[in-house]
Amino acid sequence: MDYVKKLLGAEEIFDRPEPLKGVRVLEVCSVVLGPSATDYLAEFGAEVIKFEAKRGDQMRYVTPYAFFWKNLSPGLLEQNHNKYWVGMHLGHPKARELFYEFVKRSDVVVDNLTPGRLSKWGVSYDRLREINPKIIQLHVSGFGSWGPYTGRTSYDAIAQSEGGLAYITGFEGRGPLKSGVWIADWTTALMCAIAIVAALNYRERTGEGQYIDYSQVENVIRFLDWTWAYVDMTGENRERVGNRDLAICPSDLFDCKDGWIAIVAFTEEEFRGLCQAMGRMDLYEKYADPLERLKDENARLILKEIAEWTKGKTAREVEELADRYGFAASHVVDVEEAYYSEHLRERGAIMEYDDPLYGEFVEPCYPPRMETPSRLKWGARPIGFDNEFVLTKYLGLSMDEIEALYEEGVIYRWNPDVPPQCPPPDWDGKRGLKFP
Amino acid sequence: MEERTIVGMALDPQYARFIYNETNPDDVMRKPEAIDDMVVLDMSYGNYAGIFASSILAELGAEVIRIEPPEGDIARKMTPYGIMVKDAGLAYLTEGRNKLHITLNIETEEGREILKKLVKKADVLIESFRPGYMDSLGIGYKQLKEINPGLIYCAVNTYGQFGKDARERANQPDYDLTDQARGVVMSVTGEPELDPEVPQEYKKPLKHGNWMGWYAGGAWAAFGILLAMFYKRKTGKGQLIDAAPPEGMLAISNYLMQYFHLTKKKMVRAGNFDYAVFPYTYVRCKDGYTFMSGFTDPNWAALCEIMNRPDLQKQFPTIRERLTPENQPKIQHEIEKFTMNYTAAELLDIVTEYSRRPDKKGTVVTGRLNSPRDVLEVEHFKIKRMFVKLKDPHYGEVLVPNSTLRFMSRTPGRVKWVCRPIGADNEYIYGKYLGISGKKLEQLKEKGVV
Repeated sequence: MDYVKKLLGAEEIFDRPEPLKGVRVLEVCSVVLGPSATDYLAEFGAEVIKFEAKRGDQMRYVTPYAFFWKNLSPGLLEQNHNKYWVGMHLGHPKARELFYEFVKRSDVVVDNLTPGRLSKWGVSYDRLREINPKIIQLHVSGFGSWGPYTGRTSYDAIAQSEGGLAYITGFEGRGPLKSGVWIADWTTALMCAIAIVAALNYRERTGEGQYIDYSQVENVIRFLDWTWAYVDMTGENRERVGNRDLAICPSDLFDCKDGWIAIVAFTEEEFRGLCQAMGRMDLYEKYADPLERLKDENARLILKEIAEWTKGKTAREVEELADRYGFAASHVVDVEEAYYSEHLRERGAIMEYDDPLYGEFVEPCYPPRMETPSRLKWGARPIGFDNEFVLTKYLGLSMDEIEALYEEGVIYRWNPDVPPQCPPPDWDGKRGLKFP
Repeated sequence: MEERTIVGMALDPQYARFIYNETNPDDVMRKPEAIDDMVVLDMSYGNYAGIFASSILAELGAEVIRIEPPEGDIARKMTPYGIMVKDAGLAYLTEGRNKLHITLNIETEEGREILKKLVKKADVLIESFRPGYMDSLGIGYKQLKEINPGLIYCAVNTYGQFGKDARERANQPDYDLTDQARGVVMSVTGEPELDPEVPQEYKKPLKHGNWMGWYAGGAWAAFGILLAMFYKRKTGKGQLIDAAPPEGMLAISNYLMQYFHLTKKKMVRAGNFDYAVFPYTYVRCKDGYTFMSGFTDPNWAALCEIMNRPDLQKQFPTIRERLTPENQPKIQHEIEKFTMNYTAAELLDIVTEYSRRPDKKGTVVTGRLNSPRDVLEVEHFKIKRMFVKLKDPHYGEVLVPNSTLRFMSRTPGRVKWVCRPIGADNEYIYGKYLGISGKKLEQLKEKGVV
C-alpha cells in the first residue's frame, strides 16, 4: 500500500503528467450534462474553452435554497473547473467566423443545445470537418439527433423516468423515486467523455476525426443491468424492492442500533463468514448455495434473520465483524463524513484549493486515481472572464480588435445588474484574470 | 414515413437527415472499431464494475479476454430470483458481449506463469480482488510492470488500493450496495425526510434500483483506462489505475460538498422534490406518473398558464418561495389537481402545443414515467435499435441493450455476440497467444490449471 500511495497519493499530484495535456476542447454547453462531460476532460488536463450565451449557463441560477456564495452558484461550480470562459454567442455571424478559427486550432467540439441548433448557426459537422478534418464533434441530447423523439426537450429527471430507472427505484409498495442527484446527467456525461477519449485514441492511430451523437435516455437504459433480459424473458416488469438486491442475496440495508448498515455476502465463503459472525451456522448449512438464496422465499427469510441480528448491533460493530469474517458491510456515508474523511483526502478524491476569485474550496476530484491524475486548478468564472486571454493567446487578436468586438456585441462580459453572472462584490478588478 | 421516423420533432430537419446518414445503424458493422488494437484481460471476480468497464471497451472493439477461475465467475450467478440460462444469469448475459472467455487458476504456480505470459501481450488488466491479494501471489502491479512496462493495471475495490479505510477494511469484497452506501448519493436518495405524509419507516437512505454503484464505477474505470491508453500511445508508458466505485458516486453528487463547505449544512433526502429546482418533479396522472417542470420564473409562469392557475404564480412568484421544503409538497399537490385529469401522452400533447405558441411565457417539459415493459415498446427506441435480440448459438435468443456508443460516425460501438460459456475460448486464446493446445492444454486441464 505504501508503494501504491507513493504512485497515486494526493501530495504530489501536480508533479505528475496530465493524460490530456495539449487537447483543446470547445464547449458550447449549458446546465449539467454538457458542462460535466467537458469538466471530466478538463480535470485530466484538457484545455476547455467555454462559450456562454448572454444570459449565461443556466446553472448560474440553479442553487440549493437560492443560496449564492460571492455571487457564485454552487450549482455552477460543481461541473465547471479548470475552464476558460468566453462570453460569445455563436448565433452572431462574426462570432461564428471567430469560432471557425478556434476550430482550426482545436481537437474537440462539444454541445448539448437542442439538436440542430448549432447547424442553424453554421456550426454543423459537415462544415467543421471542412475546416479541420481531424475535429471530433460530440453532441449530446435527451433522445439523439434523429428519430421520432428528436427535438424533444429533456432533463435529467425525464431520462430517469422515460428510461425506466425511476420505476425500479423506490420501496416495495411505494411510489417511484428519482435519484437524490442528477444521476442521468452525470453518468451520460461520463459516457460522452468516454466516447471522446475513444475517438481521440482512434485519431491517434489513424489521424481521423469523427462525429458522435449521444442520447441521455439511452444511457439510462444501458445502465439498468439485467432489467431488459429479465423483462423480455419473463414478460414481468421489474418492480421496486427498496434496498434489497434481487440478484444478490443477502444484499440489503438493515436498521441497527445507531442507524443503518448495508450488508452483502454472496459467495459461499462470504456467506459462511456472515453466518459465523451471526452465530447462525444453521443458515449457512441450509443456504450455502448462492442460487438457492436468490429464490424469493429464501431471500425474504434470510434478510429477516439478518435484520433481527443487526437491531442489537452498532454499525461499527458489524463493520468490524465484516472485516474479520470477510463479507461486505458499511454504514451510509453522508456528505459531512466524506468532507472530513482522512481517507478521501489522502487519496486525492477530495481536494482543497485556493481559488483566486472565491477563496478556499474543498471539492471532489474526478476518479479514478491514476499515475496521470486529475486535479483542481480553479473553479467557475463570471461570464466572459477570460475573453482577453483566450482571444489573444489562441487567435492572436490585438487589444484594439478585442475592443471592437465588444463594441459590436460579438463578445461580452457579465451584466453588472445580474449578480450570478458577476465577480464577487469585493473583487479588485485583477484577481484571477489571466490577461491582461 | 421517413419524415416522421428520422426527422421527428427536429428543429432542423436537414440536420437530422444528415446525422442519420452519418450514423445509420445499418452501416455499423461495416465501419472500423476505435480500439481494436487493444488487448484487455478482465479478471474481475463477482464484480460488475469490472465487467461493465470491459463491456465498454469490448463495444469499442478491444479484444477482451475474461479470465475466470475453473468453476466460473460468481458474477454469472448474480441473477434475479436465481434465473439461469445454462451457466449464465441474466446480468452476465447482458455484459458478456464481444468477450472471450478462458479459465485459469491463479492459485497454482503454473497458472501464475501462464498469466504472466498473457500479460506480456496485453495492454490492460482489470481485477477486483481484495487489495493486496494479487501482490501476495506475486502478480500485483509492481511485479507485472516489470514484465510489461506498457501495462495498464486497473484495480477495482470499494476502499481503493491505499488510504486509511483501505488499510482498515482490506478484507472486504466490493459490492454494488456498499459502493452506493459509501458514495454519499444514497444518503440523499429516498422518500422526502420533511414530508409529514411519509411514514417514518420509509425515511431512510435508498439505493438506485439498478447497480448504479457498479455501473458508474465501471464507467469511471473505463474512462481511466482509455485516458491511460491515450497516454500510452504517446509515451509507451503503462500505469496503475485505482478505481474505487464510491468515489465515482461521490464525484457526481451534485453540489452537496460545495454547499456543505460553504454553509456547513447538509441537504436532506428530498424524494421527488428538488431544493435547487422546483417544480421539477414526478406527479401522478391518469395513467401513472409523469415528469413536470417549470422551475425558472418564466417557465413557472408558463406552467401556471397551462394549468390556468394564475393564483399559484402569485402565491409562489420566485425561486425563494418555490425552493422551500414546506412549499414544495403544497405546489406538488396543486399541480396534481391538474395532471390527474390527463394521461401522460395527453399532457405531452398539451405541453407541446403550448410550446409552439408565439406568446408562450416559457418552457414546460414533461415526459412519461415508463415501466421497463413500457420502455421496450417505445417506437423511438425501436427505430434507433436501442435493444438487440441476438440468437446465440449457446444461449438461444437473448435481448440486451445495444451499445450506446453506436452513433459514433467513424467507429461506432456494437454488440457482436452475447456471451460465451465458461472456458469456451481456452483453445483459441491459449493457442493464439501461448501456443498451448491439444495435449498440453489437456494436461493443464487435468492439473486443474485451466
